[in-house]
Amino acid sequence: MAETGTKTGGFLQKSAARKYLCAIVLWLMAACAWAQATDQPAKNDGRLAPPVRPARPDLNGVWQVMNSANFDLEAHAARAAMAMRTGPHGPLPAKEVLALGAVGAVPGGLGVVEGGAIPYKPEALARKRENQQRWLERDPEIRCYLPGVPRATYMPLPFQIVQSAQSMLFVYEYAGAVRNILFTDPGRAPVDSWMGQSVGRWDGDSLVVSVTAQNDSTWFDRAGNFHSDQLHVLERYTPTSSHTMRYEATITDPQIFTRSWKITMNLYRRVGTDAQLQQFKCIEFVEELMYGHLRKEPLK
Amino acid sequence: MSQPAAQQQLSAQWLRPCLALLMTMAIMLPAAAQYKAARTAFGDPDLQGLWSNASLTTLERQNYVTSLVVSAEQAIAIERSNNAWFETDRRPTDPGVGAPAAGGDVRGYNSFWLDRGSKLARVRGEIRTSWVIAPATGRIPYSAQARLQLRERARPSSEGPETRSLGDRCIVGYGSTSGPPMLNVLYNNNYQIVQAPGIVAIVVEMNHDARLIRIGGVHPPAHVQLWMGDSIGHWDGDTLVVETTNLHPGQSFTADVRHFLYLPPTAKVIERFTRVAPDQLLYEFSVADEAAYTQTWRGEMVMSAAKGPMYEYACHEGNHSLPNILRGARYEEGKRESATR
Repeated sequence: MAETGTKTGGFLQKSAARKYLCAIVLWLMAACAWAQATDQPAKNDGRLAPPVRPARPDLNGVWQVMNSANFDLEAHAARAAMAMRTGPHGPLPAKEVLALGAVGAVPGGLGVVEGGAIPYKPEALARKRENQQRWLERDPEIRCYLPGVPRATYMPLPFQIVQSAQSMLFVYEYAGAVRNILFTDPGRAPVDSWMGQSVGRWDGDSLVVSVTAQNDSTWFDRAGNFHSDQLHVLERYTPTSSHTMRYEATITDPQIFTRSWKITMNLYRRVGTDAQLQQFKCIEFVEELMYGHLRKEPLK
Repeated sequence: MSQPAAQQQLSAQWLRPCLALLMTMAIMLPAAAQYKAARTAFGDPDLQGLWSNASLTTLERQNYVTSLVVSAEQAIAIERSNNAWFETDRRPTDPGVGAPAAGGDVRGYNSFWLDRGSKLARVRGEIRTSWVIAPATGRIPYSAQARLQLRERARPSSEGPETRSLGDRCIVGYGSTSGPPMLNVLYNNNYQIVQAPGIVAIVVEMNHDARLIRIGGVHPPAHVQLWMGDSIGHWDGDTLVVETTNLHPGQSFTADVRHFLYLPPTAKVIERFTRVAPDQLLYEFSVADEAAYTQTWRGEMVMSAAKGPMYEYACHEGNHSLPNILRGARYEEGKRESATR
């Protein structure tokens, strides 16, 4: 120690010079630490404190409902098919779906609409019933069209949430639909779209997403439940355990309904090898249905 | 301890490590000048953001140029001639012209619809004319067999939906915009990257396709063939390395106005994504297939930060073109048949 002191004393004669050098070194050290902190803002290796961010629930993962909401949001008993016709002793499967047998049958459900029934205006209810009668011609799902919100959530296929500190993306297996959740409201969307514009915010542990600017071409389910382009959907995703979330969607559309109404259901997180989204690009699956009659040699 | 003595001891204690630090920093200065990508909250290099690969640079070297790299003067001349055409084409359509004659050319989009970039790309400080850097010709080294495939597929047929292009069918965007490799086309050249632990998602604007790249794992059996293939990634320092196999045979031929690509289902594509500046990604790719190419070929591209938000590109839902193309073909056939009767 004494030796070092002597050497340094000889190297730097004046205390002012020592002060300056140490000040420069300390400044450089501080600059290094700052640079490291900005380069690696979150790498908590024990030397740096993690960045201060409000703790948000981690919704990352592959999620799916376990219900029959996509068949019908309202309570319904199991039945032979979505498309039915009059039979000698009651309804029977329509000719177009008859060959599917039990595979084409509809599973029952207790319904996911709070209060039981969707509050249609009378003329809208008539349209809903007509949709149901003409399901094969009208359901956008049959043509592999984008599902819209909230239907995307309870399709019988999973979806994946990709959540980072600054972004959140919903990727749906059905039709490869995507939704980018914006956390800064850009204002009214310049044009309506199939999946609409989603603006998110956190309310405690709940992710709340306001969905506007959806066009009038999507449905709520296979039962013909529908909306206009005045639809507003307010979604709420609330974790209820490490592997479940409560999903609520409040539907407002004054053109079609007498009041706002709400659906609620559970979402389940897929785990292990099940937690990998598959590809379901169904456009090619419906080409024969949509364009088969325009082939050079239509199939017999 | 008296004040001067304490000062001297403090100086002695600190000076040696301080000097060592100074010397280390002097050695590290050139390295410190290099950009180091920020990390996500979970420690991976952060590639997130909205990116665009719109550019006048094309997949393969075009006939108008003989080298990979051009000078700033040459680049200005090339860009000026491209942009002059663009400016001419963006003039408002004369409303007095009227409809084209029946059976005549109805023409395609004018430049109002296009967003193909206005500059040649600057990659690694060079102004590049093609993305392909190896082989040195700037051309894809197709085998004779692959050239035959290209010639056959380049002839469009309207026999049925499957014989039309992927773009016409709205299955994926045209010209390998979704990749891999992800190539620039005439419009909608935007990509959004979002990362979470174990996954990197790339949303391709056209047609709202999300490439879900899982970090680690294994590819499915070879007979499981997927649009955009099956992609597995790993991190190599600051670089995301993605291996894609299991490509869909329907995607083996893709075309843009400025390029054709033959990529058989047996091909393997390796992509490397590196953030080289806050507003720039270096995108490297190599493509290998023993039967289709005489050698593995490689490309380098840059993607630049783009302004959002990215809007929905719903193609199939409004696809009037495909049925009308098929209907038109049937009409023409009917006319020819009645003429020969």
